[in-house]
Amino acid sequence: MRIVSAADMEKVSRSGLRKIRPEKPRIAVGLATCGIAVGGMRVYDRIKEIIGEENPDIELARVGCIGYCREEPLVNITIPGKPLVILHRVTPGDAEEIVRAVEKGEVPVEKALCRIPLWDHITGCTQEYGAGFDGIPRYEDVPFFSHQKKVILRNSGLINPEQIDEYIAIGGYAAALKALSGMAPEAIIDEVEKSGLRGRGGAGFPTGLKWRIARNAEGDRKFVICNADEGDPGAYMNRNEMESDPHMVLEGMLIGAYAIGVSEGLIYIRAEYPLAIRRLQTAIGQAREYGLLGKDIFGTGFSFDIGIATGAGAFVCGESTALVASIEGRTGRPHPRPPRLTDPGGGLFGYPTDLNNVESWCNIPVIISKGSEWYAGIGAKGNSGTKVFSLVGKVDRVGLVEVPLGTSLNTIVFTIGNGGAGNKKVKAVQTGGPSGGCIPARLFDTPVDYESLNRIGSIMGSGGIVVMDEDTDMVDIARYFINFAASESCGKCVPCREGLKHTLLILNKILAKKATKKDLEILSDLTETIVATSLCGLGQTAPNPVLTTLAYFRDEYDALVNP
Amino acid sequence: MIQQEIPGKPITVTINGKEYRANEGEILLSVAIREKIEIPHLCYEASLDPYGACRLCMVEVVRKGKREMATSCTLRAADGLEVLTDTPEIVKHRSILFELYLAEAPKSDVIRDMAARYGVTRTRFLKRIEQGDPLGNKCVLCGLCVRACSEIMGAGAINFINRGPYTVVNTPYYAPSRDCFGCGACVRVCPTNAIEMEDAGAERVMKSWSGTRVPLSPCECCGRYYAPRELSASVLARLDTPLKEEIARLCPECRGKHIAREEILAKHGGSAKHA
Repeated sequence: MRIVSAADMEKVSRSGLRKIRPEKPRIAVGLATCGIAVGGMRVYDRIKEIIGEENPDIELARVGCIGYCREEPLVNITIPGKPLVILHRVTPGDAEEIVRAVEKGEVPVEKALCRIPLWDHITGCTQEYGAGFDGIPRYEDVPFFSHQKKVILRNSGLINPEQIDEYIAIGGYAAALKALSGMAPEAIIDEVEKSGLRGRGGAGFPTGLKWRIARNAEGDRKFVICNADEGDPGAYMNRNEMESDPHMVLEGMLIGAYAIGVSEGLIYIRAEYPLAIRRLQTAIGQAREYGLLGKDIFGTGFSFDIGIATGAGAFVCGESTALVASIEGRTGRPHPRPPRLTDPGGGLFGYPTDLNNVESWCNIPVIISKGSEWYAGIGAKGNSGTKVFSLVGKVDRVGLVEVPLGTSLNTIVFTIGNGGAGNKKVKAVQTGGPSGGCIPARLFDTPVDYESLNRIGSIMGSGGIVVMDEDTDMVDIARYFINFAASESCGKCVPCREGLKHTLLILNKILAKKATKKDLEILSDLTETIVATSLCGLGQTAPNPVLTTLAYFRDEYDALVNP
Repeated sequence: MIQQEIPGKPITVTINGKEYRANEGEILLSVAIREKIEIPHLCYEASLDPYGACRLCMVEVVRKGKREMATSCTLRAADGLEVLTDTPEIVKHRSILFELYLAEAPKSDVIRDMAARYGVTRTRFLKRIEQGDPLGNKCVLCGLCVRACSEIMGAGAINFINRGPYTVVNTPYYAPSRDCFGCGACVRVCPTNAIEMEDAGAERVMKSWSGTRVPLSPCECCGRYYAPRELSASVLARLDTPLKEEIARLCPECRGKHIAREEILAKHGGSAKHA
């Protein structure tokens, strides 16, 4: 079946809604990679087994992940007329009890994390699950959730990512229909510009402006690419976005392609994300069946399709010029910019190319659906919208945290994350992965936005926040990140290839207590040169963990060196 | 591939406070080379695409009173462009880069002399000395050989292997290359004279490239081996000259003599004797 009108959409939507809120109870297991890793698949299999034996009137489904990693495996129970209940830390041994309870229209209360009577999917659908289960805490009263604002993760963990009907049921592809059949491309770019959306890959370049440059670039063939080469240690926002809600990425790309005037799209995704690749492939296949990708989408005459290109395990391939080289089959080595990807001759196979991060694309359907004004109202001035962070490391509540930009590190680490794990004192956080810096706890009132983080020597990056506690050796942390960057350096330019190698050697010497004050001087000279002279962003930012630990935790270095 | 660049319109650029004529879009480093302004560089070659890897040619660009560092091999001349080549900032970073080079290619006289010219005579970094390095601990991974082999010769016999600090240049799987013509372009473009090549009898041995051996053609007259066989064949296929026959059969020396003899024969009717 092809969807060409709002009426077609409505029909599919009704079928999807019957899956999300079936007339019979539904048990849905959170099966993103994170959930599977802690045994979610075993829980799913066990429940399936019981249902298969006894044939009770219960639906079993897979959903993505709502982001509370510490509490996984998570299982959603939907009983008609009742709130959706999320069970946490579920084991295969709990399966029996869950099925028994659900059969009776109940839930195992002691396993319940929270209940959701009402959920706003933002893109035009508010799900009213129902009332009851008053003894279970409400979603908004769970401290991990209460300070979050889910715009990007609006559907994650609540819908089946392998069922396009469920995405359409919660308002999915309505923004694309609105854009393609009722908006001029320029008007879409205007909306995105006015929304203030900035690139979520880390650099924060205005997305609308990038689209405008790509639209205005000379050339009759152009590309849009989704950068899904997420590789910062500890960062997995994009993975969850693709695994839990792949159609949101596709819809964002479809709208962007129409606005820029492109008929070919690619998702460049790292091979280390097999489940995300599979779910994207499934999603692309389903979108094609409905005519949401392919020729003459919505009968508008506009054609667009998406292919998948997988990486071969190099961090530097997230850099735009190396990414393009990798897709073309060349070695992933950056080249000097200009030419930029949007310049003639600079993009994929020489054609002007627009490249945006997964999460940037995820915001697009919301901006079109709710309007730029609504979107710009979230976050801080010049930093609108929300950002998903992966809060990991030595923090009590590990998970994906989505907050408006401008939220302080204090709120993220202490209010949402509940501070250090095991009651340890939090010493610092590392934001922005290997390109970011270590921020000491005394600066945690810093609002998390692009400029504020830059001012204190770190970067927003793609959204990793690694927490360190009182036991963490900050020099060792610097060494960890330098070791990562050195081994991921492509080896093209000297400061990055040789400079990071020697930075690592000096840090090893310091940690072995064989260094002198002189070595600290060399370290600081060398890292300054790497920042100033490296060819691409990897080298230019790689010394940040050293520079920030030298600035904020100098005493730890001094304690290790001989005079 | 190399494209013949159409010279842009004449403009003026300022280097170290002095004005120079240049063509718009011209690479700034090539303007400096023409005007004999010294900027150190290792990975630049006029006949290849700009690469920007050695980072030695960095200069400071003055824009609206602000200074920003850029590699002069990728910087394009534009009217009013102003650069400084020896600011304290440049000197500081360049010195560290030279120290890194001295540690990376400790056996290279070229690097040693170049660094010394810029006042760097020792390195504070651990020197990399690898026994049996096919490039004699002289390679700085500027990529000129790789690019000449692929961009100019179209052979692609050598490439980078590994990444980061483990990067080296060699043939795929360190096996003798079947794609190598033995042209020696790599040897000629190497700024540190790291690549070794030797002619031994009927073969040319690319000593640095995993012992790649390329057959040579003998001169029909003197018997000396003088040109890589495959290379001659592919060059001859593209040549259109009455001398094609001579080029295919004779070494340059014998060819000269042969042509001279033909000329004399034509003029004097057979009085010349073979030398």
